[in-house]
Amino acid sequence: MSALPLPPAPTLRRPPRLPTAAAAIFALVGLVLFGQGIWIHAKALLAQVLLERAFAASLAGGRDVKPWPWADTWPVARVEVPRLHRSAIVLAGSSGQALAFGPGQVERTPAAGEPGTTVYAAHRDTHFAFLGDVRTGDEIRVTRRDGKVVSFHVTGTSVVRWDASGIDADADGRQLVLTTCWPLDAKFSGPLRYVVRAELSDEQKSNEAAHPPNSPVPTE
Amino acid sequence: MAYPIQQSAMNAPRVGKILAILARPPAVAIQLMSLIVLAIAAILAALPRARAANEIAPVYVTPAEMHSGALLLRGDGDRNVAAPLVATDVDVTVSGPTARARVTQLFHNPSAGWVEAVYVYPLPEGGAVDTLKMVVGERIIVGDVMERKSAKAIYEQAKAAGQKATLMEQERPNIFTNSVANIGPGDSVLVQIEYQEPVHQSGNQYSLRIPLVVAPRYNPAPVVQTVDLKPDSQGWGSVADPVPDRDRITPPVLDPSVDSPINPVAITVRLQAGFPLGEVKSQHHGITTDETSNDTRVIKLSDKVVPADRDFELTWTPAAAAVPSVGLFREHVADADYVLAFVTPPALADAVQQPRPREAVFVIDNSGSMGGTSIRQAKASLLYALGRLKPTDRFNVIRFDDTMDVLFPDAVPADAEHLDRARSFVSALEARGGTEMVPAMQAALTDRRGGEQDHLRQVIFLTDGEIGNEQQLFDTIAAMRGRSRVYMVGIGSAPNTFLMTRAAEIGRGTFTHIGSVDQVEERMRALFDKLENPIVTGLTATYSDTADTTPSALPDLYRGEPVVIAAKVATLTGTLEIAGRIGDRPWLVKLPLANAAEGKGLSKLWARRKIADAEVARTLRRATPEETDKRVLALALDHHLVSRLTSLVAVDTTPSRPEGAHLVRTELPLNLPAGWDFGKVFGERPARPAVRRDDHAEALPHGRLDVQLAVEKAGPVPTAPPAPRTPVVMSIKADKSGVTLPQGATDAELRMMLGAVMLILSFLLLVLRRLGIGLAK
Repeated sequence: MSALPLPPAPTLRRPPRLPTAAAAIFALVGLVLFGQGIWIHAKALLAQVLLERAFAASLAGGRDVKPWPWADTWPVARVEVPRLHRSAIVLAGSSGQALAFGPGQVERTPAAGEPGTTVYAAHRDTHFAFLGDVRTGDEIRVTRRDGKVVSFHVTGTSVVRWDASGIDADADGRQLVLTTCWPLDAKFSGPLRYVVRAELSDEQKSNEAAHPPNSPVPTE
Repeated sequence: MAYPIQQSAMNAPRVGKILAILARPPAVAIQLMSLIVLAIAAILAALPRARAANEIAPVYVTPAEMHSGALLLRGDGDRNVAAPLVATDVDVTVSGPTARARVTQLFHNPSAGWVEAVYVYPLPEGGAVDTLKMVVGERIIVGDVMERKSAKAIYEQAKAAGQKATLMEQERPNIFTNSVANIGPGDSVLVQIEYQEPVHQSGNQYSLRIPLVVAPRYNPAPVVQTVDLKPDSQGWGSVADPVPDRDRITPPVLDPSVDSPINPVAITVRLQAGFPLGEVKSQHHGITTDETSNDTRVIKLSDKVVPADRDFELTWTPAAAAVPSVGLFREHVADADYVLAFVTPPALADAVQQPRPREAVFVIDNSGSMGGTSIRQAKASLLYALGRLKPTDRFNVIRFDDTMDVLFPDAVPADAEHLDRARSFVSALEARGGTEMVPAMQAALTDRRGGEQDHLRQVIFLTDGEIGNEQQLFDTIAAMRGRSRVYMVGIGSAPNTFLMTRAAEIGRGTFTHIGSVDQVEERMRALFDKLENPIVTGLTATYSDTADTTPSALPDLYRGEPVVIAAKVATLTGTLEIAGRIGDRPWLVKLPLANAAEGKGLSKLWARRKIADAEVARTLRRATPEETDKRVLALALDHHLVSRLTSLVAVDTTPSRPEGAHLVRTELPLNLPAGWDFGKVFGERPARPAVRRDDHAEALPHGRLDVQLAVEKAGPVPTAPPAPRTPVVMSIKADKSGVTLPQGATDAELRMMLGAVMLILSFLLLVLRRLGIGLAK
């Protein structure tokens, strides 16, 4: 940061020579790159504010609300880890565009709490930066678009390849998987993913028995 | 954010040194600058590419490459475990249209610890497992069928309590696992399962297949390295697998060049064809045949025992030229009657059947798992197929691994020029890469002439079917099939028959298995006879009384194929009416049910097919998962079958493992299918299991002892435990590749770091320049 105010012209007494020009270019490129990095984080933070708003509107209105008019995705759930006081609004789809703004629900996985395995993916350096702190037994709470709150508990973690996750979207039971890039502190993107597996909590299961999951879920 | 600052702090002390060394000659500084600029440019340029390479190119391993990294044994934690050994005896009785197989396995624990053995069973598609027996000492414990979870709980409880127990579970419709808990040091446990399967008929040839190997399946990423980080254990934990059932369905694979074949198998087939027999032939094994009467045979392996490394296939033909064209069998179970009907439609040679021209799209899998003889078989099959095309036909060729090439932009006439191009294209193919089957299927099903009805559109798909994303392929076929028919040609000694059969079913085509190079011509000819002569279309079956029939929709018939219908009927009266069109002529057959002959195990076959129907309905989204589960569970429990939702469990209530003794779970290594690159002639280690014969002599069910002992006498059951090996980190790919996980990181940090480095550089330059000026003064 101390480097920021350094490329000022007044220090030059002669017409700029090559090193000065190079210094100026470096400073400029450096500032742009640094700014981009900050922008990515800012976008991730800002978007969540807008998303919270859109999600609240979704809950109230009972229909999908786009967070901003040109968005190609919409909020589908809020995922919370109460112990870590972290939460994020989950978007539909896991395209890079969606993930810039929030965790994405991977295509073709069921809604949280429905039979099968729900997969939420997010970036390790933004929304899922806390994933490394999640432990077995932690509660993960998901507020769905229809207002229903479902609770999962973490059963384990693992590291898998992106294309051989072994996660079966149609598996028996009701699971939730949170995933992000692995290793958590790497600078480059690799083929590995960190996977946190959670299962629907027991009390939830008995509720499910009382209200079969396929019947329309009351929004109240 | 913190990182770049830290970085600059780290770099700050170096500034002085760099200055001291490089400051004086400005030329050096300029050179240094340009070098740095170049380096940064190179890094920036390489960035996206590096990431792309990471994402797209997983590491592939062909069996040939497994020499070094072959997964051999899996230990528990840091303990090395000797593999339990198993000898298998298969006894099949064919009675008319059905076969009942009894598989007896002797599990032996050569180690000094208590062991749980898990054996992965390949079973024929359509086989119905209904009996499980365990022989401990002199007791026979008969397994109960129950819901999978309860069975598992009972098994786990018995395991923990030190009781001998065995559990038979279905992992895939054609892959089962048998777990046996608490085999003591030097101890042996005998486990027997029984299953029912239909005899396959095509033309005048009947066949029976006994699958003996589960091929290691290949997926977009065959090698998966996983680390289980238990958050409570902090840091790098033990090595574990994220796929809950991966270890169940991908047993360790033995490199035959290192290990002698284990798991020897003895096979006996008692053939009661119900008609005078002609030729009886085994496709891949030497056999000896005893003629007991003119319509019965007893078939045994001429080698007595073989390693379980290739499927056993037996075919037989009737002696008379005239094939029985109708077979009708019945069985009375509980309160219901079950009927199984085979009807071969007449071959109307005189029928005015102008063969319609065809548009054939050939798809060939040249992925790594096809390496070795498989790719040769596939190429030979495709070349044969090209030779069978007529000038009026159109065709195209698609090859795929994890990439794909379509030879012609659109189907082209089968003229000499195009055929030559196709032949050289096919001949040049080599097996490498992953298996991305879905895009190839999509390309093959893309029909540019959907409106034209004069050509029959046929997709002929040659593959070993070793992929994990089966469901995606089914969805693709169901969504895009249009007027096309999909014919699956399974290549290699152990193709994924479940995938092939289901894909062909959804694609309204057929499945042909080519197990060795010398079968290519015969099987491909049979397939092409069919392709060129679709015989019966629009088949329906109606009963005069109410009946529950399967399959619910009858497929088209080709030359020599029978209609096979299983039904549960209220009463054995009335008629079964089968109607369809042969060419353009209506065809109708009436069968009086009262005249049916007695058959065996028909109810099980009916239930097994109803379960398969329910699963197809789910695949085609005609039933919800809940409805399917309910239907499958009811059928399986009623008919005492192992299914996706039910298991067989047997527990010996007498505890055998003393409290405190540690139980170690191991897997029985499977032999690789023969003919895979890695396969060589097996060297056998002469050794015998230390079996206490008397222990189960009296306990064995009728007639079983001799055969079992024959296995032991033949003696290639190696007792020498494989050398202790370190626990294996690599696992051969999961059967299910699972959900593809998206990129989980931004390049924000990288950008910020680079940005900070640039800023520091510019700062350096300025300092340099100042110093330079200072020197100049």
